[in-house]
Amino acid sequence: MRDRDLREWRTLIRERADREWRELSPDVVDELACHLAELHAAALTNGASQAEARHRVLDTLNAASFLEVSRRPRARHRPTGYFQDVRLAVRQLRASPIVSAVAILSLALGIGANTAIFSIVNSLLLRPLPVRQPQQLVTLTTGSWTNPIWEQIRDRHDLFDSVCAWSETRFNLASGGETEFVDGIWASGSLFETLGVDAILGRTFRASDDRRGGGPDGAVAVISYDFWHRRFGGAADVIGQTLKVERVPFTVIGVTPPEFFGPEVGRTFDVAIPIGTEPIIKGRGTWLDERSTWWLSIMARLRPDQSIDAANVALRAAQPAIRDATAPGWNGYINEPFSLEPAATSKSALRRHYERPLIVVLTIAALVLLIACANIANLLLARATARHHEFSVRRALGASRWRLARQLLAESTVLSAAGAIAGVVVARWGSQFLVRQISTSGHRVFLDLSLDTRVLVFTIAVTIATTLLFGVVPALRVAASEPMEAIKEHGRSRAARRGGLSGSLVVAQVALSLVLVVAATLFVRTFTSLATLDLGFERDRVLVVDINAERAKIDRTERLPVFARLLERVQALPGVAEAGLSRITPVSGQGWNVSVDVSDTPRLEGRQAQTFRNAITPRWFAAIGMRLVAGRAFTDADRKGAPPVVIVNEAFVRRFLDGQDPVGHTVQRRVMFNRNQPNEPPPPAQEIVGVVADAIYDNLREQIPPTMFEPLAQSEMSVVPQLALTMRTAGSPMSDVRSIASAIRDVNADLAITFRPLADFVDASVARERIVAMLAGFFGGLALLLAGLGLFGLTSYTVERRRPEIGIRMALGAAPSGVVGLVLSGTAGLVALGILLGGTLSLWASRFVGTLLYQIEPRDPVTLVSAAAMLAAIAAIAAALPAYRASRIDPTTVLRESQV
Amino acid sequence: MEFAGAIREAKKGTAELVVLAFLDDEPRHGYELTQLIEERSGGALTFNFASLYATLYKLEERKWIQGRWVEKAGQRRRRYYRITPEGRSVLAAQRKEWGQFFELIRQLAGVEHA
Repeated sequence: MRDRDLREWRTLIRERADREWRELSPDVVDELACHLAELHAAALTNGASQAEARHRVLDTLNAASFLEVSRRPRARHRPTGYFQDVRLAVRQLRASPIVSAVAILSLALGIGANTAIFSIVNSLLLRPLPVRQPQQLVTLTTGSWTNPIWEQIRDRHDLFDSVCAWSETRFNLASGGETEFVDGIWASGSLFETLGVDAILGRTFRASDDRRGGGPDGAVAVISYDFWHRRFGGAADVIGQTLKVERVPFTVIGVTPPEFFGPEVGRTFDVAIPIGTEPIIKGRGTWLDERSTWWLSIMARLRPDQSIDAANVALRAAQPAIRDATAPGWNGYINEPFSLEPAATSKSALRRHYERPLIVVLTIAALVLLIACANIANLLLARATARHHEFSVRRALGASRWRLARQLLAESTVLSAAGAIAGVVVARWGSQFLVRQISTSGHRVFLDLSLDTRVLVFTIAVTIATTLLFGVVPALRVAASEPMEAIKEHGRSRAARRGGLSGSLVVAQVALSLVLVVAATLFVRTFTSLATLDLGFERDRVLVVDINAERAKIDRTERLPVFARLLERVQALPGVAEAGLSRITPVSGQGWNVSVDVSDTPRLEGRQAQTFRNAITPRWFAAIGMRLVAGRAFTDADRKGAPPVVIVNEAFVRRFLDGQDPVGHTVQRRVMFNRNQPNEPPPPAQEIVGVVADAIYDNLREQIPPTMFEPLAQSEMSVVPQLALTMRTAGSPMSDVRSIASAIRDVNADLAITFRPLADFVDASVARERIVAMLAGFFGGLALLLAGLGLFGLTSYTVERRRPEIGIRMALGAAPSGVVGLVLSGTAGLVALGILLGGTLSLWASRFVGTLLYQIEPRDPVTLVSAAAMLAAIAAIAAALPAYRASRIDPTTVLRESQV
Repeated sequence: MEFAGAIREAKKGTAELVVLAFLDDEPRHGYELTQLIEERSGGALTFNFASLYATLYKLEERKWIQGRWVEKAGQRRRRYYRITPEGRSVLAAQRKEWGQFFELIRQLAGVEHA
């Protein structure tokens, strides 16, 4: 009991001494604590209650000043070391927990956001592939190549040290029914060797594995470390086991190291199989001899003495021979000179798509951190001013300027360090969250977000920069303290100067916040325009089932009847209102186009003559919710052998028919030169029988392109193995998946099926806009909040400082409303200046975001004005409370205070 | 009893004298000293506890008194201060000085020595 009391008294004494910047020796603390304990005991003996006794002790303690006590010779160890600086700083920050918490929280969010986004930038744009000597790798630009071209390059051994090709894909591992996709790679036999990646178990591919139809060991597969653990539980005997890829058995021969995620940043792979095994899976549909199917990426490793220029020259010298060997006489075929690019950080479609948004978002996050710094600088400045008296006294007692500045810098450092530690936690969570947002159900994004040196250095640099940004000014201000100055003048002139500096900080804050709010508004409006865009079809309550008959043993000509039976079965299900088949699903990333001529209209040239196509069954329009505006829909009578017909969309009518009534015109498809069948007759002309309202074909951001629809039964697409079954469902799209799956299995159990709500495709196509809008909106809101807090702090402080003046004004008859006006006008001036600066800055910065916007101008005046208005409103709210408080100042109290 | 003006100022200088005087009889601890001073002055003279210890430490620094932690059975640990021979002679000198001073005041201002 006694000990506990003593401990408490000791703590209280230390805290009390801290407030006076006194360090007491343990001996002194002990003695004083004993004294308080005696006092406490005596009070209890005299009949005081516990609370009263405690009160009495606290009164005694609070009336004490330790200034002289600590001069005691035994208390010689004054805090001078850096460790003491930090200890004092921690105590000082704990003394005002709310201010410190706000500061640390804003730093955590600021540093965390910057680190999160930087770690994505790092893994997507900066970090080299985790392979041997990545700087020797070059990639053949741009885009993809055909297998015949790849084989030509592969067989010219003198061009590079080594060269490889691959294609990213998805493999279905299910043996029937609903698909089970994993990320896959078609890999050349040289892929792993070129990259310099060795298996951690078994072996990687050799050139012999890549022979057509499989090598000496048959069809073999290399799996990733992650997949090995997921699928095989990391079993050591995985080598030699069989894995069914697209229902073809492959033998697992090796496992890649954990850090290797494949040749492309932003993706990962589970299973790699040799390009040469492609015919085993695709059968007659193989792409290996296709001269116009561009699907392979090519990467080479330079010889140690070889420059990229030399490699370019060598490759270009071989180009004519490669052209002649693959497709002699084709016009415009690989006539652009081959060009190699450094591939150390790998090529990536994800990077192209996200490079600019990432840089914009990183800039936004940096601005938020700047605003947070301004806020914290202001807080510290206010606190430094409040402690000015203390600092002056300490100067008078012999503390050096450096000593005092160091103390404040220590406080800033402790704040930033706490913010940075919390920030790293925020960053880890945040970056994973962001990557999940980028991923869509059809495309899994993988980024290696592990903390590497670069991210660590970045975070530390940001932390140091923030410390300097918000810590130096208050420290300099304190270092400039003159001994005893504050005691003489009550710190007033100094406070006024501090007011000016804070004012500039607030102006900067308002300006930056405006930029962020403008950016947020632009991005949010872009996203909402896209999200609420009239697509021309129903996005909700529509389910799409991709059906793949490739591995089902159905003859090509029998496919359509099977699909028709399937459609019939599904249509009979109670949960399905409408159903139709199509070759293409809108916004799925697929495309199919052709150049056409329309009867009795002028011939169009080049891209102008192109129209997108789709092949559908009669009820597909009803299923997806597209509206017929003229003519008729397809019927079952539009079958093979019946007069060929098409339905076109309004954009088609605008482009090709220029206002004429389209119904009755015919569409003639143009035929490209086909070397394989030079004498093939032109396709029959198709009569336009109807017009549908415009609907998005693939890209929400682009103008709706001319599109024509033909009956599936009349189309060459009636024999393709893969079609999409689109259904309008009665309830939520995924609720009837089971009955639909079993209906499809009843028709043919070998069909591979994938379910996906149509809304998923739409959401995926605006994933980038959603994530940018979400982040910009979040940061914009944060900026508003921080700016509001900053203004509130500054106004409250100003009111506090001008209390005597306001009191005198009120004593002389100033009305409360006049006082409110006085306070608000000061703040309004700063805000107006900030808005002016911010507006100019926004106009300048808008050029960088133009390409990311949709249906809104980067310099949209409405956005600018509404953002300014929003900021002004926040400022008004932030300043109103202190202004109201100012109007409630009691003049007599103030006058009495100033007499003292 | 509150003193004002000149006496309030003078009181500060008397602290050392008072403390030395109380320690002249026997060693005492800080709490005991505050109680004694308050009691003997009828509450007219009180020390803020921090100033009392400040005075004690100052006197100790000048080697006029000496402090020592003492632990007695059934009691809490206390730091007892004992006057040193040097302190005794300072006390004697101060007593004399103050006596002369009061005599002077009496003669000049007609104030009776308490």
